[in-house]
Amino acid sequence: MSTERTAVGAGVDAPPLPSSRPVVGGVATGTNRERTHLRRNLHRFLVGNRLNLVGVVIVGTFLVLSLAGELIAPDDPYRPAPAVELATTALQGPSWSHLLGTDEIGRDVFSRIIAGARTSLQVAVVVLTFAVAIGTAVGAISGYLGGLADELLMRLTDLFLAFPALVLAVAVAATLGRNLENTMIALSTVFWPWYARLVRAQVLSIKEREFVTAGRSIGLTPGRLLLRHILPNAVSVVIVQVTLDVGYAIAATSALSFIGLGAQVPSAEWGKMLADSRTYFPDSWWLFVFPGVALTLTIFAFNVLGDGLQDALDPRSGRR
Amino acid sequence: MIARLVVRRLFFLIFVLIGLSVITFVLSRVVAGDPARVIAGPRASRAQVERIRELRGFDDPLPVQYVAYVRDLARLDFGESAATKNPVREDLGRYLPATLELAFYAFLLSTVLGVPMGVLSASRRDTAVDHLSRVVAITGLAVPVFWLALMAQFLFYGKLGWLPDGERLPFGTDPPRTITSLYTVDALLTGEWETLRIAARHLLLPTVTLAYGSLAVVSRMVRSGMLEVLNQDYIRTARAKGLIQRRVIVRHALKNALMPTVTTLGLQIGLLLSGAFLVEIVFSWPGIGRYAVTAIEKIDYNATMATTLVIALIFVGVNLLVDILYLFLDPRISYE
Repeated sequence: MSTERTAVGAGVDAPPLPSSRPVVGGVATGTNRERTHLRRNLHRFLVGNRLNLVGVVIVGTFLVLSLAGELIAPDDPYRPAPAVELATTALQGPSWSHLLGTDEIGRDVFSRIIAGARTSLQVAVVVLTFAVAIGTAVGAISGYLGGLADELLMRLTDLFLAFPALVLAVAVAATLGRNLENTMIALSTVFWPWYARLVRAQVLSIKEREFVTAGRSIGLTPGRLLLRHILPNAVSVVIVQVTLDVGYAIAATSALSFIGLGAQVPSAEWGKMLADSRTYFPDSWWLFVFPGVALTLTIFAFNVLGDGLQDALDPRSGRR
Repeated sequence: MIARLVVRRLFFLIFVLIGLSVITFVLSRVVAGDPARVIAGPRASRAQVERIRELRGFDDPLPVQYVAYVRDLARLDFGESAATKNPVREDLGRYLPATLELAFYAFLLSTVLGVPMGVLSASRRDTAVDHLSRVVAITGLAVPVFWLALMAQFLFYGKLGWLPDGERLPFGTDPPRTITSLYTVDALLTGEWETLRIAARHLLLPTVTLAYGSLAVVSRMVRSGMLEVLNQDYIRTARAKGLIQRRVIVRHALKNALMPTVTTLGLQIGLLLSGAFLVEIVFSWPGIGRYAVTAIEKIDYNATMATTLVIALIFVGVNLLVDILYLFLDPRISYE
């Protein structure tokens, strides 16, 4: 699993990302020409690259499972089997009545994996919302003001990047106490600096463009310039990063749960399920094979989708 | 010129060191709750907690406490582990070599395999090597390292029985005479061949699983670096001169393509050290990752923070070295 990202070293400034085209008016203004344009892009994105299609299908499945899991899950993911039946229902391998087998207290593994999708999505949404909010605020202020404020904020950012991300998350989560909420806080502290850098680089390049100079010359306030004119043009780059980071956030959550931080009993979380399975290693293989497959597929799909989006928004960055 | 840049990097290092100590101080003294209560344990009376507070100086103002904290850190005094009752420094000294040995071989493996893999997949695009490198890249970034470790253990220990399930040496085997504390190196130096063989067998699964993720990153970095370089004019010139393909690749392209990889290699240390936390648990590897995880379970803040700090220090140190190395490798760079 890669909770460390493939990015620039602590202390060395990130090269500004190739900026995308300015957003004018948004996507869905509804003229026919734009709609055909959108359809053609979508076609190229999905059919031109099969991997993207696979990514979209898996991410779609993941979203459906996490939002409507109860309707699909054959069983209650949390209620243990009655004690008298345990001998016949616990630790059963895959069968027609339990497609992916049952765990040590007779719960259906398939249903628990479905419930785990929701846990993962929840964590990812919360963590990335905080990370994007904090990172954007810091990055925007830093990039726009420049000077001393920029220096201070960026050195603070570097400081957080000086820790290997997972190790910092472990330290924060461990001091706050072992539960899923604290894990979300811990992960937010390691994710925000990346957004601060990303947004800063964007703001630095966008603020030099004519339309910003024009806005300034007609007397727009800095706040209005930033919020209404500069930041909207940085959105696409942030969205790509968020897509990639959903995978990283899910991976990091499961890693923390695996070492005993994060999700606690009886919550259904893939990393936690893998940790619990070790008691029944290696005989009850379904306990550690299937949650791992779910985890890997999900991370894989978000990676692919993020890469695909990046290429679509900036053809020059294409992976050759 | 280079000297000035190195001095700048060292200044930044001092800043980072202060920052690291502030972060761990705030985490362990402010966020974690009452440190006196933690030391005294849940059953201690209020008077006992008060006495510890006074004795350890936890009733001093925070800046005073911070100065004392830094003074202790400078002497590498991380306090006593609440779980093992040993000084944390001793514990770390015992467990760190195991992690370093694991991380060292994983680093070696991902570099030794990753660089040629990247070069070959760039110079022979859409051949078997390129496809293999693509599979490694995709899976290496998606498969969580602890699940990979579990599956490897399941297959090679549980099903096939070819390799041991964990630990550095089997129970009852004496480690080689201590020179570096890296078992394989020590066994090699002292000529204890049987121990070397056993230690290597124990290292194999943890190393390979740990290396896999960074193998993916390294081979991709080298591949894209190579592709960029191979499109440049001087490569066409070299080819036009009639140089054979191998010479063009090795002597002309690789040197420039490897530049960005150097930074990546430095960052891999962070990936490997955090991966070690997870791999060590699966393989019962007695390193600082497993030590820290046990410390977390026992709410042993001193041990947790010391491990965090040590790993961050290694990471910062390596990246500083890489940055400085870079200055010598590429004279165009200036960190302005």
